Amino acid sequence: MEQIRLTVNGKDYEMQVKPSATLLDVIREDLGLTGTKEGCGVGECGACTVIMEDKAINACIVLAVEANNKNIITIEGLAGDEKLHPIQEAFMEVGGLQCGFCTPGMILSAKVLLDKNKTPSDQEIRKGLEGNFCRCTGYTKIVESVKAAAQKMRG
Amino acid sequence: MEEYSVIGKRVPRFDSKEKITGLGKYAADFSLPGMLWCKVARSPLAHARILNIDTSRAERLPGVKAVITGRDFGGWTWGFMANTRDEPPLAVDKVRYLYEGVAAVAAIDEDIAEEACELITVDYEELPGVFDPEEAMKEGAPVVHDYRPNNVSVEYHWNFGDVEKAFADSYLVREDRFTTGKVIVGFLEPPASLAYYDPTGYITVRAAKQSPYFHYRHLAACFNLPLSKVRIIQPLIGGGFGGTKNDSVAGDFCAVMLSKKTGKPVKFVYTMDEVLTTCRRRHNMIVYNKMGMTKDGRLTAVQSRVVGNGGAYTAIGPLTMYLAGFATTLPYRLPNYKYDCYRMFTNNPVSAAMRGHGITHTRFACEIQMEMMAEELGIDPVEIRMRNAIDNPKRGEVYRTINDVSLKTCGLKEAIQKAVEDPLWAEKEKRPRKAGPISYGVGMSGTSYLGGARQLGHQSCGAIVRICEDGSVNLLTGATDCGQGSDTVLTMIVAEELGLKYEDVQLQRVDTSYTPVDPGSYGSRVTALAGQATQKAAQDAKKQLLEAGAKAWNVAPDEIEIRNSVVYLKKNPEKKMSFEKLAKIASYEGSGAVILGRGYSGYGIEPLDFMTGTGNGGTGYSFTAQTVGLGVDMETGKIDVTDFTIVHDCGRPLHPISVESQNEGGAVQGMGQAIYEEFVMDKGKTFNDNFLDYKMPRSTDSPDIKVIDIITDDPDGPYGAKEASEGSHVSAPPAVISAIHDATGIWFKDLPVTPEKIVKALKEKGRWLK
Amino acid sequence: MTVFYRRLPRFEYLIPKTLEEALSVLKNQKESAKVFAGGTDLIPQLKRREIHTPKIVIDLKGISGLDKLAYDENTGLSIGPLTTINTVAESPIIQQHFPSLFHAASSIGSPQVRNRGTFAGNICTAVPSADSAPALLTLDATIKISGPKKERAVPITQFFTGPRTTILMPDEIVIEISVPKPKPGSRGIYLKLSPRHSMDLAIVGVAASGISENGICKDVKIALGAVAPTPIRAPMAEEILKGQRITSNLIDEAARNAITQCSPIDDHRASQEYRCDMIYAMTRRALTQVFAQ
Repeated sequence: MEQIRLTVNGKDYEMQVKPSATLLDVIREDLGLTGTKEGCGVGECGACTVIMEDKAINACIVLAVEANNKNIITIEGLAGDEKLHPIQEAFMEVGGLQCGFCTPGMILSAKVLLDKNKTPSDQEIRKGLEGNFCRCTGYTKIVESVKAAAQKMRG
Repeated sequence: MEEYSVIGKRVPRFDSKEKITGLGKYAADFSLPGMLWCKVARSPLAHARILNIDTSRAERLPGVKAVITGRDFGGWTWGFMANTRDEPPLAVDKVRYLYEGVAAVAAIDEDIAEEACELITVDYEELPGVFDPEEAMKEGAPVVHDYRPNNVSVEYHWNFGDVEKAFADSYLVREDRFTTGKVIVGFLEPPASLAYYDPTGYITVRAAKQSPYFHYRHLAACFNLPLSKVRIIQPLIGGGFGGTKNDSVAGDFCAVMLSKKTGKPVKFVYTMDEVLTTCRRRHNMIVYNKMGMTKDGRLTAVQSRVVGNGGAYTAIGPLTMYLAGFATTLPYRLPNYKYDCYRMFTNNPVSAAMRGHGITHTRFACEIQMEMMAEELGIDPVEIRMRNAIDNPKRGEVYRTINDVSLKTCGLKEAIQKAVEDPLWAEKEKRPRKAGPISYGVGMSGTSYLGGARQLGHQSCGAIVRICEDGSVNLLTGATDCGQGSDTVLTMIVAEELGLKYEDVQLQRVDTSYTPVDPGSYGSRVTALAGQATQKAAQDAKKQLLEAGAKAWNVAPDEIEIRNSVVYLKKNPEKKMSFEKLAKIASYEGSGAVILGRGYSGYGIEPLDFMTGTGNGGTGYSFTAQTVGLGVDMETGKIDVTDFTIVHDCGRPLHPISVESQNEGGAVQGMGQAIYEEFVMDKGKTFNDNFLDYKMPRSTDSPDIKVIDIITDDPDGPYGAKEASEGSHVSAPPAVISAIHDATGIWFKDLPVTPEKIVKALKEKGRWLK
Repeated sequence: MTVFYRRLPRFEYLIPKTLEEALSVLKNQKESAKVFAGGTDLIPQLKRREIHTPKIVIDLKGISGLDKLAYDENTGLSIGPLTTINTVAESPIIQQHFPSLFHAASSIGSPQVRNRGTFAGNICTAVPSADSAPALLTLDATIKISGPKKERAVPITQFFTGPRTTILMPDEIVIEISVPKPKPGSRGIYLKLSPRHSMDLAIVGVAASGISENGICKDVKIALGAVAPTPIRAPMAEEILKGQRITSNLIDEAARNAITQCSPIDDHRASQEYRCDMIYAMTRRALTQVFAQ
C-alpha cells in the first residue's frame, strides 16, 4: 500500500491505496464520488474525465499514486453551494444530454475548453470534445449547450 | 390545433439535475457492505464440447467465496418464445460462441475474482465451427443446436398478391444483393448489477436494464420463485438502444446465483471489450431484393429473400425476422409482395435487436434499389418517392397495405416536400460540386418506422397516479427511461391531464415490487402505450378529485376545471381553490380517501401473425424524409458528412427537446453504421474489440443537424403522438448512401461504405488517381 | 480461461527523485521494471494483460527538469522526456518553427490523452503508426539516451528496430529529443489518414519537409508511418526530387516510388492494397503542399 494525499473538490484526503489502483477506482470506491463513470476503462471514451491540476485527464488510466499531492475536480465539485455552474445550467436548458452517462466527463471537458477559449467556434468545440464519446445525442445539442454556456460565462 | 399547457413545451428533462451534477446513480454506482464481486470466466474457443471443468484451484484462492458453472443452473434455459428457450446462463454441454461464459467466481475483491478465473481449467473438445450464415445453410455444415439440425433458427414465407405476374408485367425489374454490417448498439454504460438473494427466497437486484420486466421474468423462472418475490429496482440507465439491456446477460444470472450460494450481495460490471465481443449485436443480413416498376416509376412488386446471421442463440430473432419483412409495404404503395427469410445459427455472438430493428436492413435495400431504378428510368429521386408515397389518409379513413398494416396518418409526402424546400436540397445546384479532391453530394431517403411495437403475448402496460394529501403527485410506471426521455414525457402527460405544472409531478422509476408491469422500452412503444396508460391513470385520478370537489362546491364534476394548479368553476373562474386544497378535501373528507388513478393501454390488441406476416407490428407509424450533405475525398475515399436535415412525422412532438435529440442521435448512430462501424472477424473472433477500432462517430465526425416536425395528429397516440426514436435511425443509412452516390456516381450495396471500399470501387471504374 | 480484466494486475510503484535512482532500479531489476511517464500506453497494456506484468513500475514524473520544451537559435529544439504531447501541440515555438510536429501532436488521441502522454513516450512505444515519428524523421531528430554507461545519442533513423521495439536496452531511458534548427526556407507537414476525424490510429501517416529555390528542390525529406514494421524514411523517393525542378509529374513519380520502400500489411484496419494506394495519394499530397508556391 502507498500513502497518498489528494485534494478533491476542495477537500483534502489522506489515504492508503494499492499501487495498482487507478485514480478512477479511488474516486468512485474509496471516496464514494460515483459521478465520474467508467465506460471503456482504457482511455478511449472520456466517461472518466476529471480535471487534475487544471487539465482534463482520463482517470481510468492514471494510477491513484500518480495523483499524490494533486488538485482534482470531479463533476460533484462543479456546482457551488446550491447553485449550478453555468455549463450545467446550459446543458439542462438546451437539453445536451439523454442517458447522462457521458455527461459528467463532457461537462468537465467543456469547462476546460471554455476556461481557455471564451468564444469557441463550433469546430473548436467539436475538437475540444473529441475525447468524449456520446452515443445518444449525436453531439448536436452538446455543441449547442457549450455555446450557450460560453454566452452565459461571458456575462 | 389544441393548445396544451405542458405538452409540446421545451421543459428540461425530468432527470437533468441528477445527471448534470453526477449525483444520480447508475447500476455500477451502488455498493453494499459485505458485497462480493462476480467475474465471468469465458471460453477461448468458438465451438467446443465441454468435457470437464476443474474449479478446485480457484476455490482455494484466499478471498474467493464461491465458484459456479453451468451445471449450477440445473439445465434451465431462456428465450423469447416458449419454443426457442435455447440459451443457458453459462454454457453446460458446449460453448457456441467465442468467449461464451463457462464459469463465474465471487470474491471479496474484483481483482481476486479475476485471478481466480485464471485458475479454472476446462477440458474442451474443439468442434468445427460455422461462421457465415450462408455457409450455415449448406449441407454438412457444423450444427450449432441439435434441435435445429439445419441451423435454421427462424424462417418465414409470406406471399401477398402475385409477384411473378407483376414482375412479368413490369417495365423494369432489378435484382440486387445488399448486405448490412456487423454492428452493435454502442451504449457507453457496460451492463452491471448489484444482486442480493435473501435466504427466505427473495431476490433484489439493481440492474442496468432497459426493460426490467424481461429480467424479472427470467430471474423468477431461473430461480423458481414467484414473480412477487423478484424485485428489480431500476437505476439510471446509461444507454439502451435495444438488444443487450432488453435481455439478460451471463453476469446477471451469475450474480444472483453467487449471492444465493454465499448469502452476500454480489456485484458485477462488464468491461467494454467484454461488451463488444460477448453482448448482443445487431443481426447482419443479406438481402436479395427484386423490385418491379412501371415505366413511370410506380412500384409493382417487391420480392425479398433475407438471410440473417443469428449468432449462437435465438434470443429475439423471431421478432427481428418478422420486422425485417412486415414493413416493406411501407412507406410506398406496394401491390404485390413476397418475403422469404432465414435466420441462421452460427458460432458468433448472439444477434438480437437494435434500434430500427429488422426494418433497417430491408428499408435500406428497398430505398437504394428504388433510387437505382429511378436513375435507369430517368426519374429524379424526389419524384420517384412522391409518385409512390402513401397519401395521408383523410380523417376517419384508414390506409391498409396488402399485408394488413393499417395507417391513420402518413406525413411522408409533406415531409418530402419540406425536405426538398430546405436549403440543403433546394440549393444543392448552387453549391460547388468539387473542391480539390473533394466531391460533394446530397442524398435523400423516405422511410417509415413503427411505434408501439408489439410482440406476441404480453403487450399491455399500466400506470398509477397517486395524489398525495398535500397535492403533490407520484406517477408509478413500469416504463423505463434509458435516456430516450420517456420519464419526461410521462411526467408531462400527468401534469397536462391534471392541470398541474410539470415540476409538481414526481415519477417513481421502475421497482417491480410496486410499479405495474410493462413490456419494456423497445420498438418505440413507451410514449404510445405507457403514455396512454399514464393519460388514463391521470384522468382517473382527476375524476376522483373532481367528484370530491363537486361535493364540496355542490356542483357537477364536469363544471370544474384545473389549470396551472388552480381549481376553478368553469362558468365562474373567480370561484377557485388551489390544487393542494382540493387534494386535502378529497383525502380527508368523511373517513378519508386514497386517491389512486389507474390506467391501462388499450391500443393495438388485434392479433399479429409472424407466420403469415399479416397485421400491425405497431400501433402507429412514423415517417421520415432525410437529406444528407457530404463530401468524399476521391483520392483517399474519406467521407466528411456535413449536414443532415431530418423531417419527421411523429404525429405531434410531446417533448420537442427529446424528439429533436432522438432524431439527431438516431441519425448519427445510423450514419455510424453506414460508413464507419464494422466488426472485423475471422472464425468467430473479433479483431476490433475497442473504441479505437470499432469506429463509432465522435464529435468531429458528426454533421450539423436540422430537425423539422410534421404534425399529423395521429388518433392512436396520446395527444396525437407517434414514435420519434427509431425513424431517423432507419432513414440515415440510405440517405447517406444516396449522397455518396451523388458525390461519386457509384451505388454501394454493402454496408459500411468505408474509404477503402470507395477507393476500390473508383479503381474498378478507372476513376481513381492512377 | 479467457477473462476480461477491469482491474490492473499487481505491481509495486516507485517514484525516484533523480535520473540516477531510476537508472539504478532499472539496472538491478532488468526486465522486471518498466518506466513510464504519461502511462497512456502502459496502463491500457497492463489492464489488457498485453504485456508481461513488471514487478515494479517506475514513475519518471518525480524527476524535475525533464519536462522542458526549449528552442535555441543555435542548438535547435529540445524536448524533454516528460514533455506532454499537449505542451508540444500548444507551443508557439513549435507552431512557428516546426509545423509538422504541431500537426503530428494535434492528431494524437484526445485532449485527455495529450495532457498526459509524452512525445518521448510516443516514440518509445514505437507502434509503426506512431504519429510523432514521421515528422521527427524528416527533421533529423536525435534521441539522447541515458543508461548505465555514459549517455549516447542515436539518430532517429536508427531508433526504431521493429513493431513496438526500439534500440533502447531495458536499463536505458530516453532523456531528450533534440531537433536541429530547420534550414531557412524549409517547410514541413504531417498528414494523417484515418477513416474518422478523431481518435483513430493512422492508416498511413506521411511527413514531408522541403526547401525549394526558384522552383528547384534544394532539399526534401519524406517519412511514413503505419506502412512498415517501423516508421521509415523514403530516401529513394527523396532522390528523385533532390536538385530537380519540381513539377507535379516529378512529385507523382516520387510518390509512386515511395510505395516501393514500404511494406504495409493486411490487417483489420486496412488491406495492403489500400495502404499502398494511400502511400501514393498521401505522399503526393504532402509533397504538393510542402512545395506549393
